[in-house]
Amino acid sequence: MNGHIGSLKIALLVMALALLGACLMPGTGPVQAQAPQESQSEESGVAVSGQEFPVPLVPLPKTITPCRACHGPEKDFPVQFKRHEDLLVHKNIRLAHGGVRVWCLDCHHPDNRNFLLPLSDGKPIDFEHSYLLCGKCHGTKYRDWRNGIHGKRTGSWNGEKQYFLCVSCHNPHLPKFKPLEPMPPPAKPWTPKETQAKH
Amino acid sequence: MARSGFFISAGKRLVTGPPLYYLWVLLLLVLAGIGVSAYAVQLKTGLIVTGMTSYVSWGFYIGNFTFLVGVAAAAVLLIIPAYLYDFGPIRDIVIVGEALAVSALSMCLMFVTADLGRPDRVWHLIPGLGILNLPQSLLGWDIVVLNGYLFLNLFIPGYILYNAYRNRQVNMRFIWPFILLSIPWAVSIHTVTAFIYNGLAARPFWNASILAPRFLASAFCSGPALVIILYQIVRHYTKFHVKDEALHKIAEFISIAMAVNLFLLFAEFFKELYSNTHHLSPLKYLYLGLHGKGNLIPWIWTAFAFNVVAFVIFLIPATRKNFATLNLGCVLIIIGIWIEKGMGLIIPGFIPAPLGEVWEYMPTTLEVLIAIGIWAIGLLILTLILKIIIPIETGEFTAAGTVANSELRHGQIAA
Amino acid sequence: MSDSNKTTQETATIRRDKKDRATEAPACGKDSIQPDRRSFLAGAAAFLGLISVSSCSWQEFVQNHFQRMTKTEIEETVERLRAEYKGKYGKDFVVGTEAPIDGTLFGYALDIQRCIGCRRCVYACVDENNQTRNPQMQYIRVLRFKDGNMDLEESSIYYDPEEVPEKGYYYMPVQCQHCANAPCTKVCPVRATWTEPDGIVVVDYNWCIGCRYCMAACPYMGRWFNFADPVIPADQVNTQTHYLGNRPRMRNVVEKCTFCIQRVRVGKYPMCVEVCPVGARKFGNLLDPDSEISRIISTKRVFRLKEELNTQPKFYYFFA
Repeated sequence: MNGHIGSLKIALLVMALALLGACLMPGTGPVQAQAPQESQSEESGVAVSGQEFPVPLVPLPKTITPCRACHGPEKDFPVQFKRHEDLLVHKNIRLAHGGVRVWCLDCHHPDNRNFLLPLSDGKPIDFEHSYLLCGKCHGTKYRDWRNGIHGKRTGSWNGEKQYFLCVSCHNPHLPKFKPLEPMPPPAKPWTPKETQAKH
Repeated sequence: MARSGFFISAGKRLVTGPPLYYLWVLLLLVLAGIGVSAYAVQLKTGLIVTGMTSYVSWGFYIGNFTFLVGVAAAAVLLIIPAYLYDFGPIRDIVIVGEALAVSALSMCLMFVTADLGRPDRVWHLIPGLGILNLPQSLLGWDIVVLNGYLFLNLFIPGYILYNAYRNRQVNMRFIWPFILLSIPWAVSIHTVTAFIYNGLAARPFWNASILAPRFLASAFCSGPALVIILYQIVRHYTKFHVKDEALHKIAEFISIAMAVNLFLLFAEFFKELYSNTHHLSPLKYLYLGLHGKGNLIPWIWTAFAFNVVAFVIFLIPATRKNFATLNLGCVLIIIGIWIEKGMGLIIPGFIPAPLGEVWEYMPTTLEVLIAIGIWAIGLLILTLILKIIIPIETGEFTAAGTVANSELRHGQIAA
Repeated sequence: MSDSNKTTQETATIRRDKKDRATEAPACGKDSIQPDRRSFLAGAAAFLGLISVSSCSWQEFVQNHFQRMTKTEIEETVERLRAEYKGKYGKDFVVGTEAPIDGTLFGYALDIQRCIGCRRCVYACVDENNQTRNPQMQYIRVLRFKDGNMDLEESSIYYDPEEVPEKGYYYMPVQCQHCANAPCTKVCPVRATWTEPDGIVVVDYNWCIGCRYCMAACPYMGRWFNFADPVIPADQVNTQTHYLGNRPRMRNVVEKCTFCIQRVRVGKYPMCVEVCPVGARKFGNLLDPDSEISRIISTKRVFRLKEELNTQPKFYYFFA
């Protein structure tokens, strides 16, 4: 189960980074769910509510939401709408996602930092459903993920499983999968020279 | 008197003989003892004491097995002229060929048993008690045909000789169907053995239709070569008469068989070399080496040279009829085919492995000792059979004679 | 399996970190198992009876083929095995005999695009399935190819860089392909290996005679032979087993991947699926059109290894 715990750790690390490194974020990571009863009309009628893809909602405790520390009611730092300045402030975040084409406000809600940008229905996406946002650009990957083709599921092949969300494996700011140290190669079989072969 | 008398006097014959006979049997017994002890180690420790791995999962045992099936099958080359064409010189001596087949078959069965990981479970092969996976498994078929052939080769000469011993006329109408049956059966043992390998699509080196014909062709070289040498030994040490004519006839067969064998090898070479696909790799490994590995190269070229030289010897009537060159040719053929059909056929089938890895195989000392032990037991079986049947053939050992002998109390037996 | 273990390393302690894994005994531990004089004599003595040589009990000797045993016989056998394993490993084993689940035909898919060649699956499989550590046995071989070809002969399984994936290479793990037209089961002279109704190719380790014909017949290196007594450290042995799966084996029999029959027959994913850090491994019911495996087959372009041999593997490779 080492690998499993390892990936959980990675997932948590990713979360921590994603949320300005300060706060815990329950509800992401592997999520318990029943096997999806997915309709084939996947791309249409996407609802933010999560009914379409039954990842149970885990409400975020208001106290630890990350962005309100600075952008909340107490302190209300203005949002910079230029990529350069924004990144200067959030200097603990390394952004390498889509090159220069993507920046903070392509995902994060400019006014409500505890949410992500909305889909076409205008309702902001909460962090538990970040995969909906990922799916906006990565449509085919999203479709594969929903079908269990992309990404990882563990548990039961015919029952309850754990789904790994996009951010469980990919840090949204540095989405490229990190290289791993491989386990050792197999032992080689003995070679004839090493034994007292007769012929 | 009748039956027990035969066994008692046969037993007496087995334990009496000239010093050379004792020495020979003693040597075989010692070698057999070493082999059996080595086998005990293998049983105790597991097949890890052999050179085999999960990459090359068959080796020296199966190589020897394959060679010996060929030797056994070659008896048909004597049976056909002897019984079908009633060629006198060979009909007189066919019985020795059948004895050779019996001993070769017993060695085959011993080699397969030595190769088996769980000999304690051989009963799983017995239909009813266990499960013999017929008609699917070629190994199942091989067990059937080998045992069937063993039965035929024990029964036919046994019947003929027992009648000779009792001084009775052989009922040819009774034995004839068995003789006829033994001819296709001889072909079948080697065909089925070839099919064991031939049927495996995973191993392109074996998965060629030419394999079974090649098996037969090479068997009809090595088997008769052994027979020629055996006959000369037998006629040297016993009163058993073998005409030169018979030996030369057999040598003629060999020259034809070797021509076919070399031609088939050439056909195989052409197909693989010209098409130059990945299926060439095992052949490349065998003759030239692959990825810097080529333990078998010196062996296979030796075999090739021996076979070609022997072919020339057998082709030219002058050298074929000269016993010095004839015997040289026979020895060359036996060694050449033993390499080609044994290690040369089995090992490259596994190299490269199905996923492309190249791991070689060489038998360990223990494996070689076990193989020598099995050969010793096989030769012992042959010696003992000949010790009984040749005096019967020559008329020295009959039911009537036994009585006379026991009365005279002198065991003056040529063998 | 009493005294026969002496020859293999009683002292073999195999720790689980990478370094020790790497320095494990060679795949067939030849050097370590050279017969000494004592075992030679002991062997000669043991040769007097085959039964004593194989050091198995009378019940084991006469044990029937799994498919021919009655329910009571199976129960008795399981009890005997549990006692044997308890004696050997000091632990209580579960030896399951779960039957196939109706309406299932297992299939497997592996995303070559995703696999990074980290070999987590290889070692998870060894631990889950109680494969011998010395001599080493691994059901999964991870092949590394150079970009631009899929030539098995040019592939390597011994790559050992600091980090994977490596630039210019891609990886393809290979294990038993659970062929629908399996050449291995066909050739077995005693029917000791067969395809279960749910598509898993299994071996009855107590029926196998060790002829290794199936190994010669397999085009995928999917079968492995216990050339010596398997060695599994007692603290690492997996006690959740299945009769046709990961129960401890004996020497001189063939074994193989069973899709973790002990797991999948109770609904769990195989261990290699569970452990894959990149989610490249997919498993499910081919008869269920909504299963992951069915979705992959219907929406992705898949291929099967050596399809020209008509083995019809239920193991698919795909690029997603």
